[in-house]
Amino acid sequence: MPKPAKTDRGVSAPADAQPSPEMVRVWDRVVRSFHWALALSFAIAWFTSYSSEGIHHWAGYAAAALVTMRLLWGVLGTPYARFSQFVRDPATVLRYLSAMLSGREARYIGHNPAGGAMVIVLITVMGSTALTGWLMTTDAYFGVAWVEATHSLAAHGLLLLVFFHISGVALASFRHRENLVRAMITGRKRKAEPADIG
Amino acid sequence: MYRTLVLAGLAGMIAGPALAAGGSCSTAPKSQFKPKATLETQLTSEGLTVRQIKVENGCYEVYAVDKAGKKVNLAYNAETLEKLDNAEAGEN
Repeated sequence: MPKPAKTDRGVSAPADAQPSPEMVRVWDRVVRSFHWALALSFAIAWFTSYSSEGIHHWAGYAAAALVTMRLLWGVLGTPYARFSQFVRDPATVLRYLSAMLSGREARYIGHNPAGGAMVIVLITVMGSTALTGWLMTTDAYFGVAWVEATHSLAAHGLLLLVFFHISGVALASFRHRENLVRAMITGRKRKAEPADIG
Repeated sequence: MYRTLVLAGLAGMIAGPALAAGGSCSTAPKSQFKPKATLETQLTSEGLTVRQIKVENGCYEVYAVDKAGKKVNLAYNAETLEKLDNAEAGEN
């Protein structure tokens, strides 16, 4: 097919000079809403833990509901939302982490093995935090010290994990020259290049 | 003038709940507090099963269950063991 003839206009529009790379849809609306709603629930719960009991409880119920919804969506959802797409065995995760250390890790369109492991850990710890928090309000476990200690440990662990999660997102964004925060807002990512893993 | 009003308003917002609630936490040093065991014995004799007593500022916050197994949350002035209306009195 012959190329279109060049025009002699001299200046082309900026959009033509640098065509935006083709994007693919990755994160569906449920995944994105879940992500930001869970982040918000955790932030609200964290800041109300000693001040507003009512709000703290509702943030916890919201987190529990979101986690339950995500677990279902991990089985029923769109391809990149499914656990089977991104949960890998520990050996693969460790290999990926060591590849990250030497700066030669592959770009994944879905979650990379380390990110997939982080999803599972975050969901588990968030679920444990919500469960132990709810137990603290029941007659059977009200005022039981080990339940309170577990809730506190889980909540602090979750904060630490969130820092690792954000660091991982920042590192992967930097390494593969893409904005993963924006991808979690728009749902779109740059399409796979030959070296990438779809 | 304006600033005085704002400050007075803020002070009222902070002090209001504390003044409205019945009783207040102790401001004495911890050495003046009555032992937790005294409070626990008293509550046990009232039919409560005490699970935990926390020191919160000048208050003891009690986590207990009654005879029916229902949770009970209470606060006492740690110095006088006077019962307070607000179980969260020590947390602020």
